[in-house]
Amino acid sequence: MRDRLLALAESARREIGGASELSAVEALRVRYLGKKGELSGVLGGMGKLPPDERRSLGEVANSVKAELEKLLAQAVERAEAAALEAQLQGPGLDVTLPGRGVALGSRHPVSRTMEEIVRTFSRLGFDVASGPEIELDYFNFEALNLPKDHPARDMQDTFYVDEATLGHAKKADSSALLRTHTSPVQVRYMLNRKPPIRAVMPGRVYRRDSDLTHTPMFHQVEGLLVDKGVTFAELKGSLAAFVTAFFGSDTRTRFRPSFFPFTEPSAEVDITCTNCSGKGCRICKQTGWLEVLGSGMVHPNVFTSAGYDPNEVTGYAFGMGVERIAMLRYRIDDLRMMFENDARFLEQF
Amino acid sequence: MKISVKWLGDYVALPPSVDELARKLTAAGLEIEGMERPAEALRGVVVAQIKESVQHPNADKLSVTQVDIGGTALLQVVCGAKNFKVGDKVPLATVGAKLPNGMDIKQAALRGVDSFGMLCSSKELGLSEESSGLLILPADTRVGLPIAEAVGLDDVVLEVNVTPNRPDALSHLGVAREVSVVTGSALKVPQPKPAESGTPASEQVKVRVEAPDRCPRYVARVVENVTIGPSPQWMQDRLKAAGVRAINNVVDVTNYVNLEYGQPLHAFDLEKLAGQEIVVRTATRGEKLKTLDGKDRVLDVDDLVIADKDRAQAIAGVMGGGDSEVTEGTKRLVLESANFQGSTVRRSSKRHGLHTEASHRFERGADLDAVVPAIDRAAQLIAELAGGTVAPGRVDAYPAPKPPRKVTLRFARVEQVLGVAVVEQEVRRILEALGFKAVEEGTGQATYEVPRARVDVEREEDLLEEVARIYGYDNIPATLPRGLATLAPEPAHAEAERRMRQALAGAGFDEVVNYSFVAPRSLEVLGGAAKPVALVNPLSVEQSVMRTSLLPGLLDNLSRSVRHQVEAVALYETGRAYFQDAEGGQGQRPAAREVPRVAGLVWGLRGGGRSWTHKDARADFYDAKAAVEGLLGALRVEGVTYVPAGPAAYHPKAVAQVKAADGTVLGHVGEVHPRVAKALGLPDGVFVFELDTEPLYGASKLVPAYRSLPRFPAVLRDLAVVVPLELPNDEVRRVILEVGKPLVEDAQVFDVYTGEQIPQGRKNLAYALRYRSAERTLTDVEVNEAHQRIVDEVKQRLGAALRA
Repeated sequence: MRDRLLALAESARREIGGASELSAVEALRVRYLGKKGELSGVLGGMGKLPPDERRSLGEVANSVKAELEKLLAQAVERAEAAALEAQLQGPGLDVTLPGRGVALGSRHPVSRTMEEIVRTFSRLGFDVASGPEIELDYFNFEALNLPKDHPARDMQDTFYVDEATLGHAKKADSSALLRTHTSPVQVRYMLNRKPPIRAVMPGRVYRRDSDLTHTPMFHQVEGLLVDKGVTFAELKGSLAAFVTAFFGSDTRTRFRPSFFPFTEPSAEVDITCTNCSGKGCRICKQTGWLEVLGSGMVHPNVFTSAGYDPNEVTGYAFGMGVERIAMLRYRIDDLRMMFENDARFLEQF
Repeated sequence: MKISVKWLGDYVALPPSVDELARKLTAAGLEIEGMERPAEALRGVVVAQIKESVQHPNADKLSVTQVDIGGTALLQVVCGAKNFKVGDKVPLATVGAKLPNGMDIKQAALRGVDSFGMLCSSKELGLSEESSGLLILPADTRVGLPIAEAVGLDDVVLEVNVTPNRPDALSHLGVAREVSVVTGSALKVPQPKPAESGTPASEQVKVRVEAPDRCPRYVARVVENVTIGPSPQWMQDRLKAAGVRAINNVVDVTNYVNLEYGQPLHAFDLEKLAGQEIVVRTATRGEKLKTLDGKDRVLDVDDLVIADKDRAQAIAGVMGGGDSEVTEGTKRLVLESANFQGSTVRRSSKRHGLHTEASHRFERGADLDAVVPAIDRAAQLIAELAGGTVAPGRVDAYPAPKPPRKVTLRFARVEQVLGVAVVEQEVRRILEALGFKAVEEGTGQATYEVPRARVDVEREEDLLEEVARIYGYDNIPATLPRGLATLAPEPAHAEAERRMRQALAGAGFDEVVNYSFVAPRSLEVLGGAAKPVALVNPLSVEQSVMRTSLLPGLLDNLSRSVRHQVEAVALYETGRAYFQDAEGGQGQRPAAREVPRVAGLVWGLRGGGRSWTHKDARADFYDAKAAVEGLLGALRVEGVTYVPAGPAAYHPKAVAQVKAADGTVLGHVGEVHPRVAKALGLPDGVFVFELDTEPLYGASKLVPAYRSLPRFPAVLRDLAVVVPLELPNDEVRRVILEVGKPLVEDAQVFDVYTGEQIPQGRKNLAYALRYRSAERTLTDVEVNEAHQRIVDEVKQRLGAALRA
């Protein structure tokens, strides 16, 4: 029996040593060490042996079993390593195929620019507010020191709203229109609050004008700061800070006297041309400067409209056209592209 | 306003360069938008005298001339024209010149004879449209003079952007005053004193103002024995520079004085005024007038007119009438210099569509103090240029003389408002230079009389602006606003909107921005019930009503993309829809109801285009729904349900109402109704969504609350049931979760199958169930029992069969 055991061990050693595939190794394990395997077969007759013989044979059997288990484990490892090696030597993936997934969507340059402007001012502590786009004449003009028959109304060609389609009785003293600027939000905002005030008011505005450089709808961001003792110097400082934060620290600012009915004194703000850094080019019509903002100290009549005492508070207001700034920022040379929503345009942003 | 620099120089000493002048005026608020320098186009062209001319040896039509341009030697120039004789003075374009027509002048040999330049016609110099032969200059023209000077084009014309508040700058004298203030040089104002003789004006014409509130002052003068003819060249040149066409000496003078003083004038042929009288009154109903532009106009009772005894002869401050126009035969004329109320002129100008040099000034406000000097200046010039005699005296209707306005300035306000301490002395100097007169002094303040040309100065802030702009905006420091008392929280919706945009971008949606106004048809085709708010004066019917949905814009964008062969379209827009509001316009309430929304559209290939991973799969309802779920997830809006129902614009079998947990309908997601798509010329398979963002943002939980992790492991089991095709997943899930309570934590549908092995009209739904207890590790027995209960209930309640 011992001889049979040793012979079995010998042949198992040889066969395991020669097995190179996992399946062959597994077959050998079943054949030699399985429940109905050869080792069990040999040891099946052990019960009939005398006890001391049985003990010594048991020792031999255990050591054969342990040896074969170890060899089998090694053979598994060898086979796995060989399989991996074979796989590593095989053909690779085409790593140049595109990944699985969805192309990211884009952000419209106007809304993106508007958000960036708003975010820049929010760093200066400005709140964000909005107001109606279908606005009353009163808020769009009169409350902003633009009485009826005022020639400054010519600066803004207005779309009027058919009162019969508004679903309510016409108010005798104020017709409805599409707001021509975001400035009426100033008045509405102030009416519902007490100073100090800092807010920007982004939104859509409308003017009856359509050509190469005008679209009947565009976007503005309005800003308003009201407190005791606000000065023109602070207006300059705030807007200059915005310009450098938004356009870059080497962009310079120039303030020019101008006229807006709702501010006094008023200033146009020019920046050094973003295209040529002020040297003069086609974009800035060789002047080196670009007009980007209108601004001024809030007119006392506007404070009166809002129920504030102009002797108590002063403030500044400003407004900018978002499309113009977006065009400068992204070097878009045709305003009309903004609202055509051509896929080939949109995907660039 | 076009300002001739030469003309300006009559009244004030100018800075050495025009660029400096432009810079100074711009800095003071008169923005120079552009400059015309006609002389530059004629650089290199000089006056030459022809000293000798012989036939060209090799060409019959050419002459060889020797010309003198004031240098040491004569120049030889070959010329093709014949209209000159030796001794004539003509323009010579010298070598190196570039003519306005683009021709470069080079030294050349013409048929073997050297030519050093080109003798020019007026057409070649851009001075006229047509010409025959050389431009022959007057005999007294100096040889060698630049041609621009010889023909009066050595001027620079400034294009001044005069803001509506500054009518005082709509004249050469007005701009000259600004120049004198910013340069410190003295202003020379003309002092016209026409020589008068004959019958007093008051005996020749009567003036009656019936509407003194609309015509505060009306002054007339009579000039007799005029001879109508062209005005002299210098005056024509100046009018041309200012953009005004020369007509005849009398009309030219009225225009010239207007450009000089900013006071519009009019001349009537006195013989043609019935009753030799002038009445300033409002028009009668249906009254007619032929204006100078030849149009017959029916006047409105609101129009102010200048009439004679019988009828209207001019619309006050806008345009004269044809019948009393100054013509070649005019001998005796009456000049009008008046001040009309701005709003009256503006209404007439708008009503008749007549924007004139006169109406432009009157609407903004003309200078009451210019009325008299302007008419005297005009009378004097007419006497000089048209040979007339000025009748003694002015007929002056000025019923209620107005005292000049007074405004008080508290000197301390300068620093309080501007943020810079300008010394009082400097403030006073600036205001006085601008013509403001200190008439009362007080402690720390002075009261100024405002020059009447400055209609814009009404209050202290206006004086502060004067100080600021002359002191120089550049000289005011830039400081940051003082610190904040509190830090305001970010506006409620900003973060929500940002997340929504990120989610949509992540799902592959491109943002678009469409106009808020659309064609009525594009709303009608969607079958919306709401009547849109309409515009009175749209640019076109395509932009005539305010949108009640964001879909028309997106569908329009799709149509454009399809035309451009785009194969995958995914777009979104945020913006408002506009609705009627029965209570609109009350108090501060907006005139209409404006509802902020987000809408999206997906069509064509899934995932942004053809791709080896997507195998040309096309987007469907579930892509649109995924976008909605994605944005809801980004906003952490929970408990949203989808109910099969929707408006007419959607496919009735492929639409869902999106409902918030509280039952609010947030909007819809679904397929565009095939009939709508067809009507719009769109392909099939267009999927859209549109949601109100305010309730969405309101329901969002941007700050999540942490739930502690489960302590015991989960057991996973699958469940597959065959149910009627119409039965929604939600109902099966509800039964599973209800029956499985409390052990079933979640049940996700992971397969929907119809086809082989499944009976007609039924579908197989497979769910992955996750069992877990919060108290202990579940045993197989427990889970098996629970699972069996679910299987039985689903079978019984939903008529389902269990699938092996």
